[in-house]
This record gives sequence, structure tokens and C-alpha cells, in this order.
Amino acid sequence: MSALLLALFLQAAPAPATTPEPAPAQPAAEAASPAPQAETPAAQAHAPAAEAGAAAGVHAPEAAAHAGEAEAAEGPAEIIFHHVMDQPFMGFSSKHLVFLVLVAVLVIALSQIAVRSYRGGNVPHGLGAAVESLVLFIRDEVAEPNIGHDDGRKFTPLLCSFFSFILLAALLGLIPGSATSTGNIAVTLGLATVSFIAQQYAGISKYGVAGHLHNLVPPGMPVLLLPIMIVVEVLGVFTKPFALTVRLFANMLAGHMVITTLLLLIPLLGNLHWLAGVAVTPISLVLSVFIMLLELLVAFIQAYIFTLLTAIFIGMYAHPAH
Amino acid sequence: MDPKGLAYLGAGIGAGLAIIGGGAGIGRLAASALEGIARQPNAVADIRGAMIVAAGLIEGVTFFALIVTILLAIK
Repeated sequence: MSALLLALFLQAAPAPATTPEPAPAQPAAEAASPAPQAETPAAQAHAPAAEAGAAAGVHAPEAAAHAGEAEAAEGPAEIIFHHVMDQPFMGFSSKHLVFLVLVAVLVIALSQIAVRSYRGGNVPHGLGAAVESLVLFIRDEVAEPNIGHDDGRKFTPLLCSFFSFILLAALLGLIPGSATSTGNIAVTLGLATVSFIAQQYAGISKYGVAGHLHNLVPPGMPVLLLPIMIVVEVLGVFTKPFALTVRLFANMLAGHMVITTLLLLIPLLGNLHWLAGVAVTPISLVLSVFIMLLELLVAFIQAYIFTLLTAIFIGMYAHPAH
Repeated sequence: MDPKGLAYLGAGIGAGLAIIGGGAGIGRLAASALEGIARQPNAVADIRGAMIVAAGLIEGVTFFALIVTILLAIK
């Protein structure tokens, strides 16, 4: 459903399959018998992916033709751009789409494996314990302080899904030869759309549409300020997910561009003189490894920030005038 | 003045200005965080968490400007 919405919004980039992530990826501490639910969400995940893949297949050849004729020679900028932007991959029209679905399936699979250690009322061990510590961290540090006690528990699965998806997408993107699916603005737009829907749901389900809109404006304000405040608050409803989108996209993109630039120095200097290429190789490799470590840190931080901001916004709409 | 040349110049200057703002902001943030840790060493965990979140938000704004400069340089 949201995949079709995004296919309407985004003409240029292939529309990814933003499946209803909160429903399938139930965290370990919350789900008792997730095994029968695993099949239907996986089927849901693949059906929109097929539709979005068909829509993307139409756009990708046009984009490739346009890019081919745009620049005469393959300069450094084009090579960098070619590496960080979306490309066809192994028969599919979009590499980012492939890795999006891969990460989604991995999140679901790892959660299911983690829950397995809870069978028979055992104390969880191994992956189950690790996932449990993550879920408890999100519930106790992110969800409940910002959303409140009961609502916090209601929204914890969604926040855990965001965190694990963004983190796993970034980690998977560090492998050479793969791509970070969150490095595509369409993917991050999809995540921000889901976050936007969750924020509005939090407000509307508690107060109704009229009440939710009434709660947008802070209470106890002079009437003269009201027109300005209404405009500001309504704009704020849309700029918050937009900021989430661009922040995550730019962080992932910048890391990959720096790595590609550093590694590109090797053939670039090698074209001047083969000795220069050989000399710059160890420097480039060391710097690239360092930047990859930095990107690892950035991945964690960005996943946490996305989750935390979503929790704060949901709390703002679920418990206004706080 | 070739418009393409102007665009590249604008991209370069814009990236420099953006990083001045981001670097100055995060530098001030780090200074206050370190001072807070020095005053109350047992609050290190809270301060560290708040510092990382604030740094992420400031960097987010810096990246908005970076996207604009990249668009200038690419298109």
C-alpha cells in the first residue's frame, strides 16, 4: 500500500517496497508465538517488492540512457556518482531495492531465530539475549521516557523495527560490492512516511482528527498569534519527517562518497604514472578502513537518532502540552 | 562567466561555509559536554548520550547544506 503511494510520489528513483515493517518484525521480548506469523509477512514483503520492481524496471532504463548521454567522458564525479547511486543488479533493476528486501528479510529472520531461544520458558541465551537487551534498551530508554508507560509499550515494536532495519542496512552496506539501501532517498522517504503515519495515528487514535489538530497548537496562547502558530505547526508536521529523511539519507550517502573518493584516488593517480598509483594505494586503503570504521559508528548513531526522534514526535502527539 | 563554472565555484564555497557552521556548532557542543563531565564525573553516561544526540541533529542540518552543494556540483 505504502509502496504504491511512494511509486506515485517518486518518479526518478525506483520506489522501494516499504512493507508494513512494524507488524512482521516483532521483537523477541514481545512475541510469544511468532512462527506462524513469519510466513504471511514474508509473502507480503515479496508481493509489493514485485510490483515496485516492475515499476522501477520502467524507470531504470530511462535513467540509464539519460545518465549515459549526460557527460561526454567518465570523469571522477561521474564515477563516484555511479557508485553511490542506484544501479541495476544481477537481473533486478535496482540494487538498493534488492538490498532493501534482503535487509527486511534478514531482520525478520534474525528476530525469529532470537525468539527461538525463549521456547519452553527457558532463559534466553545467545542471539536471543542480545536481541532482548536491544529491545529492553529501546523500551526503557527510548519509548517509555518519551511516549509514556502504556503507549510506550504499544510503540516499542515499531521503534525496534526502525532501529534494527536502519542499523542492519548500514552494516550490510559496508561489505564491498553491496549497497546501503538507506543511501537511497526513496528508501529513507519510505521510512519517514511510516514514521509520519505512526505519529498521526498516535494523535488521532487518542483524540480524534479534530482533537489532534487542536492539540497541535500549544495551549494558553494569545489569540493574535494563532494564525501564525497554526501555519507553523502544520508545516512542522511535515518538516519533521522530511528532516528525518534527509538526515539519514545524507549520512549514509556521505560516508559512501568519501570511501569511493578515497579508493578512486588509486586509479586516478595510476593514470598519471603507475608508480604514483602504487604509492597512494596503502594510504587510500588505510584511510578507507578508517572511514569505514567511522561509518560503522555513524550507522549506530543514525539508527538511534531516527528511533529517538520518532519516539519524541509520537510522544508529542500522544501526550501534548507536556 | 560560464554558468557551469559558477556552479562548481558555488558548490565549493558552499561546502566550506556549511562545514564552518557545523564544525563550530559541534565544537561548542563538545566543549560544554566536556566541561559538564569535568564538573560532575558521575554524570558521564547521561552527558554522553545527550551529546551524541545533539551532534547527530546538528550534523543533520549540515548535511542539508551538503546535499545542496552536491546537487550544484553534479547538475
